[in-house]
Amino acid sequence: MEQLLTANVATNLYWLGRYIERTEGTLTQIMVAFDQIIDVNKNAGVELYENFSTELAYDSAQDFLNKAMFGDHSANLTAITGYARENAIISRNHLNAQAFGEIIALHALFQKSSNDLIEIDYKLIDNAHSLISEMWGEISKTEYKRISDYFLRLGQLVEKADFNFRFDENKETGIVIIEEIHKILQSLDEDKVVKVEQKQTQELDYEAIINDIHQRIESLIVN
Amino acid sequence: MLETENELHKKFWEIFSKQDRQKIDEFKNHMDKFAINFNLYKDGNFIERSLPFDVVPRIISKQEFSKIEKGLQQRVQALNMFLEDLYTDAKIVKEGIVPQEFVEQASGYLKEFKGFSPSKKIRTHINGIDLVKDTKNDEWVILEDNLRVPSGSSYPLSIRDTYRKIYPDFFEQLKIEPIKQYPSYIKGAMNHVNCGGINVVLTPGRFNSAYYEHSYLAQEMDAQLVRAHELEVIDKKVYFKNYNGKRIRVGSIYRRLDDEFIDPKFFNPESLIGVPGIVEAYLAGNVALMNAIGNGVADDKGIYYFVPKMIKYYLGEEPILQNAPTYLPYFKEDMEYVFNNIEKLVIKDVAEAGGYGVLFGHEMSKLQLEDLKVAIKANPRRFIAQELIEFYDEKCYLDKELKDRKADFRAYVVMGEDIKVWQCGLTRYALEAGNYLVNSSQGGGFKDTWVMEL
Repeated sequence: MEQLLTANVATNLYWLGRYIERTEGTLTQIMVAFDQIIDVNKNAGVELYENFSTELAYDSAQDFLNKAMFGDHSANLTAITGYARENAIISRNHLNAQAFGEIIALHALFQKSSNDLIEIDYKLIDNAHSLISEMWGEISKTEYKRISDYFLRLGQLVEKADFNFRFDENKETGIVIIEEIHKILQSLDEDKVVKVEQKQTQELDYEAIINDIHQRIESLIVN
Repeated sequence: MLETENELHKKFWEIFSKQDRQKIDEFKNHMDKFAINFNLYKDGNFIERSLPFDVVPRIISKQEFSKIEKGLQQRVQALNMFLEDLYTDAKIVKEGIVPQEFVEQASGYLKEFKGFSPSKKIRTHINGIDLVKDTKNDEWVILEDNLRVPSGSSYPLSIRDTYRKIYPDFFEQLKIEPIKQYPSYIKGAMNHVNCGGINVVLTPGRFNSAYYEHSYLAQEMDAQLVRAHELEVIDKKVYFKNYNGKRIRVGSIYRRLDDEFIDPKFFNPESLIGVPGIVEAYLAGNVALMNAIGNGVADDKGIYYFVPKMIKYYLGEEPILQNAPTYLPYFKEDMEYVFNNIEKLVIKDVAEAGGYGVLFGHEMSKLQLEDLKVAIKANPRRFIAQELIEFYDEKCYLDKELKDRKADFRAYVVMGEDIKVWQCGLTRYALEAGNYLVNSSQGGGFKDTWVMEL
C-alpha cells in the first residue's frame, strides 16, 4: 500500500468522500420524503430537514423537491457538490480520471438544474444517482489498494455513520460501518490500533464514537 | 514537401467529411467534463474556464517535422551551453560575441548564481520554443525561446486523448505519430539530474492558471504534486512532508513558478508560494531544479537576437532554423532602421511575456509611434523590433463553419541524457480574424498537432 500523499490531498480526498456520500444520502432521503409528501405525510420534508438543522417550508411535493435540493440552506446540493468538485480538482492527480469526470458532471448537472426554470423531477435525481454510482464504481476498480482510496473510502464511511446516527437507522449497520472505519484507520496508521468490542453494541454512544473517529482522523493527518 | 502536405490534408478532410458534426459537441462536453482548464485572472477575479479549442488539427509532415526537430535540438543544445558558459567562464562575453552590458541588463540574469553549475550541467530541461511558418518562403521561423517555465503541453495530450475516443477512424487509417510519451521524457530528464530522492512538481496552487497542467503532468510522471509548504528544507536538503508526518528526501523538482518566487529567503521575501531555503539546497547540489535558476537571461527577447551566433560559436554549425529578422535599437544602425521603418515593424518589450508588450507599428497612430520612438531612445535595451512575419493561417472550425485564423506552434524540447523533441506541440490560434496574437493569456485557443506521414 506504499503511496505518498500530502496532508492537503489526504484531507481533500477524505472530504470528497464525505461530500459525495452526503449528496447520495440526501438524495435518497429526499426521494423518500417526496413520496410521503404526495399522499402520506405532508410534513415529511419538514421532519427530514430538521435532521439537517434546517427549517424547510414548501407548499407541494414538487415545491419540496426544489427547495430541498436548491434552497438557501446548508444542505443545498449545488453547494455540496461544489465543495466536492473543489476537493476533486485539488486531489485529481490521485483520482481515477473517469471518477473525476463524474464528479465534475454531477456538479454541472446540479448547477444547470438550479439555474434552469424547468421543473425538477425524479429524472434529475436518477441521473445524479447514476453519476455517483459510476464514480464509486470507477474507484472500486482499484480494489481500494491505494492510500488515496482509503482516504476517500474513509470519508464515505464517516458520512454514512453520521447519516446512520442522524436518522437513527439500523444500529447493526452502524456497528459494521464503524468497524470498517476502524480497519481503515488501523491500516493507515498501524501505531494507533483501535478496536470496537462487540459487547458494547447494545449500549453504543454513537455521538462519542463519531467524535472519537473525528479526533483520530485529525491526528492521522499531520499538517 | 508541399505536395506531401496537400496529400496529408486531403486524407484528413476525406475522413472528417464523413464524421457526424454532432460529435464536435460531444468533444466539447468531454473536455468540459474533465475540466481541462486554463484559468484567467480578469479585473482581479479568478475565472475558471476551459481553454478554447478547435477540432481541426494542424498537420505537419514527418519529413518537415524532421527538419524542425534537428533545428530545435541544435538550438536547445546551444542555449544550454550558453547558460552554462555564462554562469561559469563567460567566454562568449569575454570574446565579445554577446555584449557584457547586454547580459547584465537582462532582468533574468542572476549574477548571484555565477560560478554555480547544476546537476549534470543541464539547465534547459524543459523548453517551449515558439515558431511560425512564413508564407514568403515556407520556412519555419523561431519567434521566442521559453526556457523558464513553459506551459501548455498537457492540452494537446488531453485533446489527443479525447480525439482518439471520439474519432478513432483517423488513428486507424492515418499514420499519426503517437504522443503519449511526453511525460516520460520529463520523468527521464528528472531522473537523469536527480540528486537522490523522489521527484516532485512544485505548483503555486489551485488558483494558478495552469493548475490543471501541473496536476496532469504530476500524475502522468508519477511525481508528487506539492505546494511550497509541503516541502521542507533541513540541513540544505529538501524533504517532502507525507500526510503522516514522515519526511521523504526530494531529489528533483519540476517547479512551475518563476525564479522570483521560488525562495522567500533568497528572492522576494513576500513570496508565499516559494520554499524557504530551497536555493541553499540547490547550490549545495542536493536537489535539481527544472528548469535551472537564472535561465531567464536566455529567453530574454534581446538575447534571442544572439542565438544564431551562439549556435555558430558553441557548435560551429549554421543554424538550421532561423530567427525572425530582428533589430536591436541598442545598436546605433539598428535604431536608425527601426525609426525609419517603425510603422511596418513589430516592437516588443523584452521584459514582457504571454503576448503582453507587443506593439504592431501598422496598428499605431502617428502620435503613438512618436511616443514609442521616445521610449525606445530613452531605453533602447528594453525593446527589440522584428519584421512582421506573415505566417500561415490554419483552418479552424468555429461557429459551425471553417474559418482561417493565424496560428503559431509551440514545440516542446526536453533535455536529459539526450535531447528529445516531442512529436507534437501546442498550436495556438487567434480567436479573431487577422489577429497575430495567439497566446492563451490573450484569449487564444488551441488545437492538436499531428505529425503525419503518407
